[in-house]
Amino acid sequence: MNLYKYASPVNFYPLAGKMIPWFAIPAALLFVIGLYVGFFVAPTDAQQGDAYRIMFIHVPAAWMGMLLYVLMAIYAGVGWAFNARLSSMMASSIATTGAMFTFISLVTGSFWGKPTWGTWWVWDARMTSTLILLFLYIGFLSLQASIDDPRRADRAGAVLALVGVINVPIIYFSVQWWNTLHQGATIRILNKPTIAPKMLAAMLIMLAACWLYSVAVVLVRLRCTIVEREQNAARFAEAGT
Amino acid sequence: MDWSMGGYGFYVWGSYFFAALAIGLELFSLSRRKRSCAQNVNKDDRGKITEAKSSYVAQA
Repeated sequence: MNLYKYASPVNFYPLAGKMIPWFAIPAALLFVIGLYVGFFVAPTDAQQGDAYRIMFIHVPAAWMGMLLYVLMAIYAGVGWAFNARLSSMMASSIATTGAMFTFISLVTGSFWGKPTWGTWWVWDARMTSTLILLFLYIGFLSLQASIDDPRRADRAGAVLALVGVINVPIIYFSVQWWNTLHQGATIRILNKPTIAPKMLAAMLIMLAACWLYSVAVVLVRLRCTIVEREQNAARFAEAGT
Repeated sequence: MDWSMGGYGFYVWGSYFFAALAIGLELFSLSRRKRSCAQNVNKDDRGKITEAKSSYVAQA
């Protein structure tokens, strides 16, 4: 089986259509299961009470915001370096969902901050760097929308995405590098998680749901982008430009 | 489950309401875009983009 043929938008379009239900349906199921475990199974936190349940949407949204930015930058970089149209289209398709998850993480963080810190917002290192991430997404989308030629738009977007990716480790390590109001990481790769297993289960299920949702939505958007760009290309060719 | 969330109901339900609203808006805007894309796809080859269309990209 030649996987390289799927680097072509023409060949990937029908494959993406077949893949969407395999991500969308499990995403919906996992959202339901994750919310059930988060609200009915996970116990009330001894310190924060039930306010901590915001975590089950806040943390997955924040992780998705960072992860999707890294993926967007990789796809944009590959598209730029190898003139791979599908990669550039994928980067464009990821940006909106990444921006949405980053916005959700900021707003739900504010909802969590008010009862626990006593304020909706502080110019804390974690929150400020996450706000910068949102601005990077908006900048990427605005830059691409402002340039008519898709190939030039892809190149300009790739530069911004690659430069902005430095912000992701800054967000991740901000709670270690600076004294911040934001709590440190509760899940570490090498160490044991510091939260109860039922809470962790709910959070990981919600993370999986957000991840599957993102793949499904990005594939739908990618299919639309393929149709729009191929038809625009056809119009450019017909106009002799 | 305590629906008042121990007095934090506004914050907990508010955050989930906002997240649902954001996801709902994304799905709504995407469904509109998908509908308009579907109308643009040639009815003869609905469901797939032909090589002929793609080849224009190289010329453009």
